[in-house]
Amino acid sequence: MRTASGKRTKAENIYLPVSGRIEEIRKKTEDVSLFRVSTASPLRYTPGQFFMVSVWGAGEVPISTASLCEDDLFVEFCVRKAGTVTGAIHSLQEGDRLWLRGPYGNGFAVGRRANGDVLLVAGGIGIAPLRPIIQMFAKDGSAGSVTLLYGSKGPQDVVFMDEVQVWRSGGIDVILTVDRANCDWRGSAGLVTDLWHRARVDFSRATAYICGPEIMIKSVMRDLSLFGMPDERIITTLEAHMKCGVGKCGHCYSGPKYICTDGPVFSYKEIKEYSLLG
Amino acid sequence: MKSEWVLSKDHLSYWLRQLRNERELIGPLRDGGKDILFRTVDMLHEIVLECPSSLPSPKGFLFPQYEAMFSCRGLSLSDGSDGKREISDLRDRTRRVIFGVRSCDVSAVRLLDAFCLGKLRDPYYEERRRNTFLISLVCNNPDPTCFCLGLGTGPYLEEGFDIQMTDLGDRYFVQAGSPEAVRTVRAMNFFFRKPRKVDYEDQYEVFLSSKARFRKRINLEGPRQAILSGKVGDDFWQEVTDRCFECGGCSYSCPVCTCFTVTDRINPEGIERARLWDSCMFKGFTRMAGGVLPNEKRVQRTKRWYYHKLVHYPRTTGKFGCVGCGRCAVACPGKIDMARTATKIKGLALKEEVE
Ligand SMILES: Cc1cc2nc3c(=O)[nH]c(=O)nc-3n(C[C@H](O)[C@H](O)[C@H](O)COP(=O)(O)OP(=O)(O)OC[C@H]3O[C@@H](n4cnc5c(N)ncnc54)[C@H](O)[C@@H]3O)c2cc1C
Ligand code: SF4
Ligand code: SF4
Ligand code: FES
Repeated sequence: MRTASGKRTKAENIYLPVSGRIEEIRKKTEDVSLFRVSTASPLRYTPGQFFMVSVWGAGEVPISTASLCEDDLFVEFCVRKAGTVTGAIHSLQEGDRLWLRGPYGNGFAVGRRANGDVLLVAGGIGIAPLRPIIQMFAKDGSAGSVTLLYGSKGPQDVVFMDEVQVWRSGGIDVILTVDRANCDWRGSAGLVTDLWHRARVDFSRATAYICGPEIMIKSVMRDLSLFGMPDERIITTLEAHMKCGVGKCGHCYSGPKYICTDGPVFSYKEIKEYSLLG
Repeated sequence: MKSEWVLSKDHLSYWLRQLRNERELIGPLRDGGKDILFRTVDMLHEIVLECPSSLPSPKGFLFPQYEAMFSCRGLSLSDGSDGKREISDLRDRTRRVIFGVRSCDVSAVRLLDAFCLGKLRDPYYEERRRNTFLISLVCNNPDPTCFCLGLGTGPYLEEGFDIQMTDLGDRYFVQAGSPEAVRTVRAMNFFFRKPRKVDYEDQYEVFLSSKARFRKRINLEGPRQAILSGKVGDDFWQEVTDRCFECGGCSYSCPVCTCFTVTDRINPEGIERARLWDSCMFKGFTRMAGGVLPNEKRVQRTKRWYYHKLVHYPRTTGKFGCVGCGRCAVACPGKIDMARTATKIKGLALKEEVE
């Protein structure tokens, strides 16, 4: 690994971040922005993986890759302002430096949709790690069996509202819902779990990818399992307090698993087996 | 080739003085009162060998309570568009020799080696480990809290040490367990002589009498089985937890615990990124954005600590995450500790069998 000054360090240091340049910042909602970051050396990552992203002086936090790795030259992070470090990230401007190490984690093993339908369920900022999968299927073009159920707090909080049209024309059935609707809102109101009847999928043959608040993940997984979806095809990405991302700090340790290195993507089967969700 | 020698006690301080020429010498010293701490040795005669186990353990020389990882100069908090920035890696490269380490602590270092130098190598630990030479002493007189005997992690070791010394009264029986240890002894071979029959016999006797002196005879396999077979319910853990003050003393004093947190400090020279010991006994340890606390209840944290050491460690490494050093028994103000908990679990399991 190289340091920012380009000098080679003596031996590799798994904690040493590389510097990235913020090429573009797009404000998505009141507290969520999308950061497009480039690095000097090529990046290889897959959907569901994450980077430890840092601002010197503020600290380091895990952030999922929100883009599809296509030309190795950049990565996008969709960051919600939640506290100290994410706040510091939000105070940066285009052209500023963001420091990265990774990618870490197992990621989603998404195949092309050869066997069965695909159901994506997102809640709030949980759309971020699912976006590369959506982009992948939307680019694929072929019609049909990909459904996205996406719940947000209010109409102002739908993070990728500007991309929904693109996803739809890519053949994805996008169902939006909000907790609190207003008169301009054309989607549904209520929880994602109230909208199962709208999803045109064959539950017993489909694969689900879920990300959102823990409480949402729990009830979505339980419902899908009841509908006959096999537990190993109900897949989610778990959040945990993470300080290292490489299986050393112990913070994300849950059951016998390290969420950072064994996960963050787990199937309902594994979650039950290792009691990863309490 | 047998890498065994005998060192007369008269020669010990000369030898240590020689070792100190090349390395920083660390040893057990008395800290004012009764406490024993591993510290840099200035006066050789201040080393105390007839003493209870040190608190904290010597793990701090491989994994310090506070360790600076990087310094970053020329960066403002907002990390301006460009300009000179210099990140230095602050790995500690001091060469050290730690004298008077206990066998259980050497066993703990072996566990740390497996964890820190496994798939992904922790560079800070690796650098310190490479530069640290351990001289352990067989325990002739285990503390009342010690239970390494039941775990095979002490009072003496068959392998895995650098140099292991056994006190034979007027002399030490010296065993070298690594190529570097053999080199170290050979480089100053004028201090050592080859062992004779009587030295072997005396060493064997010391081993026997040491084993006989253990007051605690605890095996963790029984408790592990009891947990796995579902005999240990949440009410048991709740009882244990009721006495916990959430001070983290157990994790800090345990030579096997390695959880840490990372923090950035801003000082006039620049920014320092450092890591510090942390404890899974703290409520905020698993705090997530939005204030969700997965281990909010104290009982969940107690269980986590014990499950990690008694169930998960054996599952992934084949060894317990405890070496029986007894420090948690000394540190805990609530009188919760591995030995006591294991004994209670055993009682629980027995009771159930009788009923
Ligand atoms: C694998 C993974 C992927 C992730 N991907 C993304 C992503 O793509 N986008 C994204 O936005 N986020 C993502 N996150 C979440 C993100 O890492 C957290 O939002 C971030 O770590 C928050 O750090 P912070 O320093 O900004 O907040 P902190 O300052 O640590 O505070 C976080 C929250 O906790 C509260 N809090 C602070 N101190 C305490 C205390 N002592 N006790 C109780 N509550 C307290 C604060 O009010 C705040 O709401 C991901 C997390 C994981 C594990
Ligand atoms: S030392 Fe005892 S009181 Fe302190 S956190 Fe550990 S178990 Fe609880
Ligand atoms: S659990 Fe207690 S007895 Fe076991 S190694 Fe840790 S401090 Fe020592
Ligand atoms: S984040 Fe440190 S162990 Fe997983």
